[in-house]
Amino acid sequence: MAEIIFGSNTMQLLIALILVSTFMILGSTRLYSCIRDFGIQSFLLACVAGTVAFSTGKDEIYIIAVLTILFKSIVIPYFLLYIIREIKVKKEVELYVKISPSLIIGGMLVVISYYLIRSINVISELSSFALSASVSLVSIGLFIMISRKKAIMQMLGILIMENGLFLGAISLTNGMPLLVELGIFFDVLIAVLIMGILIFRINKTFESIDTDLLKTLIG
Amino acid sequence: MLSYLFLGVIAAYLIGSVSALILNKKDRSCTYASFLSASIASILGIVFSFSVLSGKNFEFTAASDLPLTYGLFVDKLSAFFILVISITAFAVSIYSIGYVREYYGKKNIGYLGFLYNIFILSMILVVSANNVVMFLIVWELMSIISYLLVLFEHENKEARKAGFIYIVMTHIGTGFIILSLMILAGSSGSFNFNTFNAAAAALSPGLKDAVFIFALIGFGTKAGIVPLHIWLPYAHPAAPSNVSALMSGVMIKTAIFMLIRVFYDFLGADVAWWGMLVLILASVSALLGVLYALMEHDMKRLLAYHSVENIGIILIGVGVSMIFMASGHPTLAAFGLIAGLYHTINHAVFKSLLFMGAGSLVYATHTKNIEDYGGLIKKMPWTALFFLIGSISICALPPFNGFVSEWLIFQAQLSSIYLSDNITKMLILFSGAGLALTSALAAACFVKAFGVSFLALPRSEHARHSKEAPVPMLIGMGILSLMCIVLGVLPFYFIRIFDSISSPLVGVSVSSMINSDLSMATISAFPATISTAAIAVLVFVVIPLPVIMYLLLKRTPEPKYETWGCGQPISTGRNEYTATAFSKPFRMWFAGLFRPRREIQTTYSDSSFFKGGVRFESQIEPIFEKYLYDPIIWVVVNVSRFMRIIQTGYLQTYLLYILITLVISLIYVGSGG
Repeated sequence: MAEIIFGSNTMQLLIALILVSTFMILGSTRLYSCIRDFGIQSFLLACVAGTVAFSTGKDEIYIIAVLTILFKSIVIPYFLLYIIREIKVKKEVELYVKISPSLIIGGMLVVISYYLIRSINVISELSSFALSASVSLVSIGLFIMISRKKAIMQMLGILIMENGLFLGAISLTNGMPLLVELGIFFDVLIAVLIMGILIFRINKTFESIDTDLLKTLIG
Repeated sequence: MLSYLFLGVIAAYLIGSVSALILNKKDRSCTYASFLSASIASILGIVFSFSVLSGKNFEFTAASDLPLTYGLFVDKLSAFFILVISITAFAVSIYSIGYVREYYGKKNIGYLGFLYNIFILSMILVVSANNVVMFLIVWELMSIISYLLVLFEHENKEARKAGFIYIVMTHIGTGFIILSLMILAGSSGSFNFNTFNAAAAALSPGLKDAVFIFALIGFGTKAGIVPLHIWLPYAHPAAPSNVSALMSGVMIKTAIFMLIRVFYDFLGADVAWWGMLVLILASVSALLGVLYALMEHDMKRLLAYHSVENIGIILIGVGVSMIFMASGHPTLAAFGLIAGLYHTINHAVFKSLLFMGAGSLVYATHTKNIEDYGGLIKKMPWTALFFLIGSISICALPPFNGFVSEWLIFQAQLSSIYLSDNITKMLILFSGAGLALTSALAAACFVKAFGVSFLALPRSEHARHSKEAPVPMLIGMGILSLMCIVLGVLPFYFIRIFDSISSPLVGVSVSSMINSDLSMATISAFPATISTAAIAVLVFVVIPLPVIMYLLLKRTPEPKYETWGCGQPISTGRNEYTATAFSKPFRMWFAGLFRPRREIQTTYSDSSFFKGGVRFESQIEPIFEKYLYDPIIWVVVNVSRFMRIIQTGYLQTYLLYILITLVISLIYVGSGG
């Protein structure tokens, strides 16, 4: 029992920190810090996986934790930084919604998520906490995609959504089969690669990665 | 045994399609691999359908954990359509071996062979599916494959337009089909076709009417009933000729199959006005189809309009039969249905033959315009012979097959004197008059099509340098020409087969009542009799005999004279009777329908006394497109323009739509809604 209590306290802390890191992404105006915060978020996620592995004693979840650190907090952020360097974009995040309303909307989304998950009463308290954080992450990720102009931020938004799904999956099921997890990792990696290429193409066509310019494509 | 045969059919078509893809770099071997295995598959199909027709039904259910059980069900009706598909596919496959040579080096033969095999396979599965879901899947497969085949020559703008019209129309049709079948499935609680009869009986009359109307619109679109026919004259000419032969000869018949299935098997055909509606639409289709065909100078479009006409004739038989069915005359109903089925196979045979003939003409002259033909009987004697046989068949002249089925349809219509309701009686008699007019106009049309194309002198360089089609094409046409004669001379044998198909549907068997001279002995007090075999003897032996004897015995050579200027033989094609001129009287008589418009522009060279040239343009108005489809298109376009407001082009807006939808639906679910 002791492990599980330790697990749940640590888990609560980690999940709260993940939410904080999400708000850091939402609140920063520089691309570089957004990517760094995403790296931190992924690292925290890996810690969540590690905690689950420790408290359930399933060894393969350690592998998942290591892979998360490797890909999501090292490879992908460096790839994004590489893109930024390579196409020499301005370092600012251009916004449709200013920072302070963004933060307020983010907070509202978290509240809505908690309210929604509370109404599902079949799951345990910890899972319900993790699940509402996961839904918050998904909706904030979507909101970031909506409110930011740069194509890189759309990419980051979808990665945050993916992290949210990962958090939900690992806390509900105490670790999915390794094969499924590996499949998801592969998926994310390929998606990032394709989106990266797409950003290069957008930059080549419009000489900018501002998604405003995509408007000219409609007939 | 039967299941192995059916498996063989499927396997052979699949082998054909896959080998076509594998060999697509080598045109020749690819052609032989794909089309020979298609013809082997169709021979297996013919054997299979005959064994079902003479034996008992074939059923196969795949074991599955799903609530749906996929399976096959081939009763006599399905077997008959498999027979129609297979006979036509056999001849067309052999024809294709020659025909696709035109595409060597220009097009991907492997792609064509692949689609061709899958297309035939999908049609066979359409008539043998045993549940709604599988049926809809293979029905869509058939539609999409035929769409890709229409687009095979996609570098032509015409083909792209044809493909678009076709895919739109066919999906409108599929929408109505889904509605119709889902009402039945909803009532039965099962997707299996064999529960639908009981399900339909449990429906309220209003819903039954809805099933009928939706099925009529849905399948009518595929069959090409006026006014849903507009895709036919575009799509059939655009496809390669071997495919047009299959589309026009066979694919539209799958719709007839489903109409018969829905009307008789599912709904029981017991409401009087259904038959009357089918009869009216069928008569209108027959008449308008042939009238528009008369105005057409593109050989393949002309044939496509004749498909509209013949689908009308088939449905006249079906409609009359439905009226008899609803008024409690099952023997007469059986007679009408037999006539309809007979015309179905006849039309498949002669229309495919004619499309193959048209393909040969295109192969030789590289044009579809019959004004540019002329004198081809000397260059292409065999094609001319086969085309002539097809033309005589479609004009319903004895002793060829078209005659028999139209004779039977007329007999069925004349039997309406046994009905008690005067209005129905009048309606059927009027449709008989319409059918008579249709036949006469069809004859006129084929006098034009054959005469202008094959007789007199060539009217263009293309026609002058044409030569006979390759042997496989001639064999393909020859097989169907033979079928035309067999179906025409031995009707009694086939009527027995059709009776075994119709008797489960209408409930009585009538083969014992039809004499070998095609009279209905026990029904009619004054039976009209005709012996097609005797006519055949007359036409093939008695009449040619004196002519042959005269030619053999003739001694004196033909004298040759220098004539006056007026009597000079026609030396160029320019002063011949053209197709436009030939159809002029019809354009005048039916001016109210065609609304012909013509324009003559004269240009002068130096002064107003010297004519430089005359430009003549003649057009008829496409009524259905102008007054029915254009307003619909206008509405759709304008509604779309309004809807475009929400399409901002900003990526973020679309994501916002997703978020709003997500949040609202989550709140709705979360608040226990």
